[in-house]
Amino acid sequence: MDNNNSLTIQVNDIELQVEPGQTLIEVADANGIEIPRFCYHKKLSTSANCRMCLVEVEKAPKMMPACATPVMDGMKAWTKSPKAIAAQKSVMEFLLINHPLDCPVCDQGGECDLQEIAMGYGAGTARYSEKKRIVKDKDYGSLVSTEMTRCIHCTRCVRFGTEIAGITEIGGTGRGDHMEIGTYVQKSLSSELSGNIIDLCPVGALLSKPFLYSARSWELKSLPSIAPHDAVGSHIQVQVRNGEVMRVIPRENESLNEIWISDRDRFSYLGLNSADRMTQPMMRNDVGKLVTCDWQQALEATVKGLKAAGAESGALASPSATVEELYLLQKLMRGLGSSSIDCRLGQQDFSGQQNQPAPQLNSTLESVEQQNAVLIVGANLRHEQPLLAHRVRKAALAGAAVSSVNPAQVNFNYDLSTTVETDQLTPALAAVAKAMVALGKGSDLDGLTALVANAAVDESHQAIAQSLIDGEQVMVLIGGLVYRDANQAVLYALADAIAQMSGATLSVVTEGANALGGALVGAASTAGKNVAEMIAEPPKAVLLMGIEAKDLSSTDAIRKTDFVVAMAAFSDGLNDLQADIVLPMAAFTETSGTLVNMEGSWQSFQGVVAPKGEARPGWKILRVLGTLANLDGFDLDTSEEVLAEAKTATESAAQAGGWSAPSSLGSDQTTVSIGHAIYAVDPLVRRSEALQQSHLGQQKGEIA
Amino acid sequence: MMKRLKKIIQTWTLLELFQGLAVTGRYLFRRKFTLNYPEEKAPQSTRFRGLHALRRYEDGEERCIACKLCEAVCPAMAITIEAAPRDEDAPAENGAGRSSNYGNRRTTRYDIDLFKCIFCGYCQEACPVDAIVETRIYEYSFESRQGSIITKEELLKIGDNNEAQLAADLAVDGEYR
Repeated sequence: MDNNNSLTIQVNDIELQVEPGQTLIEVADANGIEIPRFCYHKKLSTSANCRMCLVEVEKAPKMMPACATPVMDGMKAWTKSPKAIAAQKSVMEFLLINHPLDCPVCDQGGECDLQEIAMGYGAGTARYSEKKRIVKDKDYGSLVSTEMTRCIHCTRCVRFGTEIAGITEIGGTGRGDHMEIGTYVQKSLSSELSGNIIDLCPVGALLSKPFLYSARSWELKSLPSIAPHDAVGSHIQVQVRNGEVMRVIPRENESLNEIWISDRDRFSYLGLNSADRMTQPMMRNDVGKLVTCDWQQALEATVKGLKAAGAESGALASPSATVEELYLLQKLMRGLGSSSIDCRLGQQDFSGQQNQPAPQLNSTLESVEQQNAVLIVGANLRHEQPLLAHRVRKAALAGAAVSSVNPAQVNFNYDLSTTVETDQLTPALAAVAKAMVALGKGSDLDGLTALVANAAVDESHQAIAQSLIDGEQVMVLIGGLVYRDANQAVLYALADAIAQMSGATLSVVTEGANALGGALVGAASTAGKNVAEMIAEPPKAVLLMGIEAKDLSSTDAIRKTDFVVAMAAFSDGLNDLQADIVLPMAAFTETSGTLVNMEGSWQSFQGVVAPKGEARPGWKILRVLGTLANLDGFDLDTSEEVLAEAKTATESAAQAGGWSAPSSLGSDQTTVSIGHAIYAVDPLVRRSEALQQSHLGQQKGEIA
Repeated sequence: MMKRLKKIIQTWTLLELFQGLAVTGRYLFRRKFTLNYPEEKAPQSTRFRGLHALRRYEDGEERCIACKLCEAVCPAMAITIEAAPRDEDAPAENGAGRSSNYGNRRTTRYDIDLFKCIFCGYCQEACPVDAIVETRIYEYSFESRQGSIITKEELLKIGDNNEAQLAADLAVDGEYR
């Protein structure tokens, strides 16, 4: 810190150079000096109500809370002086007055801040013999269990709700001995990030309900992984006991998920033990009934069927499948002579695909916070990408003008500068473009003026246009709803034009954890049949990977196809597909792989538990299929080898792009589909019972 | 010269042999230390560490709360516990199921492998509710390898059969803990 503004202070007689505005606890944390604390948290505002971090400061008559004491030049503080220790011990004694001695039955036991700090600062015996208070438990829904008698009123959960989740759901009522943390009006938590209060709670007052009493923290083995439900690619720890996934917790990564994860990533593991997990290959027998068989039979029959169809075969894959799986799938299909392979499941309109590069943020998640203006078009961000929504919210709170062109059902947890609520995105977006043209922009974009000439502009469109032009760092963010729109090509072109006119970054975020990876390795083919065509008029043989009937807009045609092979982890969702062969595939946590997040970073992870039953990782199944079909280049031993090969293949994936005006705005009547509900995005999430029972999980199905 | 003479006398009179036999002879007429087991049994300390048992409260509810401290402290890793919430209001047959997220913390499995156990008594010491205890029982046998693993049901049964003795022993020991 060579900054001229830096101050010199002494903590425990050690001289430290610090920045003005830092607090003592920040300085102590940065320099490895331990100060006990409960209410202070680096991601939340300072409330200084637990008083655990009291330290002695020179010339101050009383002890000062380190979390709320800013540094001053020449300040001298002692964290371990007799006076400081005495103060900390007294605070600890006060905190323990009402805290029950139920560590043996408390799930937090073993990973509890209060337990640890009580070991360090608590007295061996209690002097308190009066009545302890008992607080009635609250019902926070299916994800968070409560034991409010244990609460020490640090208000971390309250501050999280207000500052991070953006929904003030939890608060403190009453005061003194009568203070209670709760929802005031009894309700379950409705935030998509609510699970984070479990990690924040320094005691056992808020616990994971699905995990309740099932294991102890010291029995669990923590293994790193990457969350597979959205394109943020959150870093997570999967905690395993006896070869079974017991829970998922966040792993700190400041540039992606900070210290949070969405509830979807936290509780989706519950689906792993669903009753309909596939553990054995199945084949249709002579009378058309699906019966179990061995791998050899199933694989041979698959290859025979695919080879018979040859170039007339096609494949559909989940956009959350790994790079390795998607790469080998397209390699298999291309080896058979077919280019019909797609993972853009929700998309209907492919007419603009030649002009559209692979969907990505074109920025980093961290820099989203620095934007001055953001226009969100057709993106239910809080449901699609909860942690990207959190970054946009941070930008909005810092003063960015965030505006939205979305259906009315899409809600935001901050104030928008301008909102256009519409079910028809095209006219609204055209109006914004026209407003920009009126402001003297877009003369270099051929045909734009004519294209948007008939758009009806009102003040809100003008306000959006003005905010984008005024902003220095600007972002136009288009999401999954645009991709589900029947007029996607025009919408994309308009968003692109708006971005170019305002000098904004065009950020594209679609569904799935690996849509970008799929596009890069050629699993979103622009050549053969695309998803919409395959659903309407399937090829002779269809290979489905990681998807089930609910992922497709219609199954009527596919079920009538001669030959359908499904690589799937769960069986129930396949009933509507009339699959002829089902190959059990390893689910999340059971396979190694790589996911490319919206920033374009390739994040590899290892399998942490063995696949259930006879299920095998998807890339191994595809490798054997390739070998049995006598195709070249399938002798790959590890997923790392597959990844290395996939990476070299992406270099040729050309960056399309450039402006070319669509011939017309198309039909104004195309209404946008809101897409999957937050907890219905993929087969695993759909099987997580706790998520389905939660407040957001009850919002089922598509809101058309 | 004298040394050699002394040695010769010692050798030819068998002096050391008779000295040794005198010890044997003395013990022959003293009170016996050995017991006629199994007719007679040795006295036991209240802290005797024999076969394990799980205790219940007076109302019949099992004491164990599945805190797993005994499992953690066991140096021989002889204890295996699995836990789940138990809904006290639900019917008995689904009472222990994981389906309910409400209820008390209870074990669904509590196994001790007696082949691994070294009878150190740490489990008893770690237990916050005096649920797992070591009884005075030291006479038991197994007829199969599986037999060495005693389950929760067996442990509770041992506890039920010996509750009076266990409670008395713990009461005596209580003031020293």
